[in-house]
Amino acid sequence: MNLKTARQADLIACHFCDTLNQVPNIDETANAKQEYYCSCCQSEIHSRIPNSLSTTWALLISAIILYIPANTLPIMTVVMWGDGQPDTIMSGVFHLLDSGMWPLALLIFVASIFIPVLKLIILTGLLLSVYFKTHWKPRDRTVLYRITEFVGRWSMVDIFVIGILVSLVQFGNTASVSAGIGALSFAAVVILTMFAAHSFDPRLIWDVIDDERLVQHQFQQVNKT
Amino acid sequence: MSAIPNTVQIKKHHSQTSLTHMACPECDLLQAIPPLAVGESVLCLRCGKSLYTHHKNSIDRSLAFAITGLILYIIANMFPLLSLKALGLTQDSTLISTALALFQADRPFLSVVMLLTTIIFPATTLIGTIYILIQVKTNTTDAFTAPLFRFLQSTDAWGMLEIFMLAMLVAIVKLGDVADVIFGVSLYAFVLLILSLTLLSASLDPHDVWNKLREKKG
Ligand SMILES: [Zn+2]
Ligand SMILES: [Zn+2]
Repeated sequence: MNLKTARQADLIACHFCDTLNQVPNIDETANAKQEYYCSCCQSEIHSRIPNSLSTTWALLISAIILYIPANTLPIMTVVMWGDGQPDTIMSGVFHLLDSGMWPLALLIFVASIFIPVLKLIILTGLLLSVYFKTHWKPRDRTVLYRITEFVGRWSMVDIFVIGILVSLVQFGNTASVSAGIGALSFAAVVILTMFAAHSFDPRLIWDVIDDERLVQHQFQQVNKT
Repeated sequence: MSAIPNTVQIKKHHSQTSLTHMACPECDLLQAIPPLAVGESVLCLRCGKSLYTHHKNSIDRSLAFAITGLILYIIANMFPLLSLKALGLTQDSTLISTALALFQADRPFLSVVMLLTTIIFPATTLIGTIYILIQVKTNTTDAFTAPLFRFLQSTDAWGMLEIFMLAMLVAIVKLGDVADVIFGVSLYAFVLLILSLTLLSASLDPHDVWNKLREKKG
């Protein structure tokens, strides 16, 4: 079959409107001065997201570092009759379990612990797989990327719960809720991983395979003649 | 998904109005987009990414859902969503009061995050979508339509009202144990708003708007 990637056909697809723009000899090396714009929507177009790997690494490493205070510092303090009880993400889950609210405990566990950790692991794995130019299951890796990108924002649920509690429970010294530094770090982790997923270009997963296929193809042609 | 005869020959794609070929945004494979019946979608041959879906009356339906959504959004912001009754006192909460409470509690960063994800981006999405769809319908698109639509596409993931909905459910169950939680008038509007937003994103394929813009350019 005559299958090609857009780049092999000297085309750049627009990120927004998917218009295929003909660009002969695409040069996206670091010192290339040429910038290309979409013929339909005038946005700047790139065959691959520029500096995708280094940007994603930077965002991901910041997220991993912030993940530590996000889990060790209190995300919320509930003050009842003058007594404050600070909770971290994990101790909050245990309190819910203790009071018999296991569906809520499960929900918060999935949104605040399972998804962020999974996301950090998947993104690290994807970056390493591109770095080591592996050919391992490109389709599965693309699906993993798609899931990460889709599901990541739901981790914000705990931050919103804290916001609602802070705004609702305002009864002075009798009962009040305040947001801790942990919540700040956690929100930053979620936002950074969202940006990290966004800056990762899944086409890099396929490039290794496509480049070699093209080389083989040319090699066969040379042999025939 | 239908079988696609894949002859990658692109002619005159500068003047194409609807897309005859597309490169998969996730694996870059170039493939033909066949004419689709209503409700059909094309998946990437190689990685399974959904490339294009043909929705019925996409522009009209999306406009209806967006206008309904905007009305519900206004109602949802006018009255309390939830109220808490304890010790003879009642504390109300709205979308904006949640963001402001965090600001007063010395958490400006969280406050800004709440403000953007639950108020500003949902509002720009609704108002911007209505504006663009009306322009597309009346054929009055101008030089600002494309940049505005690009802005809406890139901020789409940052409107998080459906996540706020889930957070309210969690808060209701958590507080229900210790105090009286009263459902505000706006809560019902809010639930319907989430429904309209879901229907909106399910009825609009951005390509339908871009195709119109391309058509106009000729
Ligand atoms: Zn474009
Ligand atoms: Zn693909």
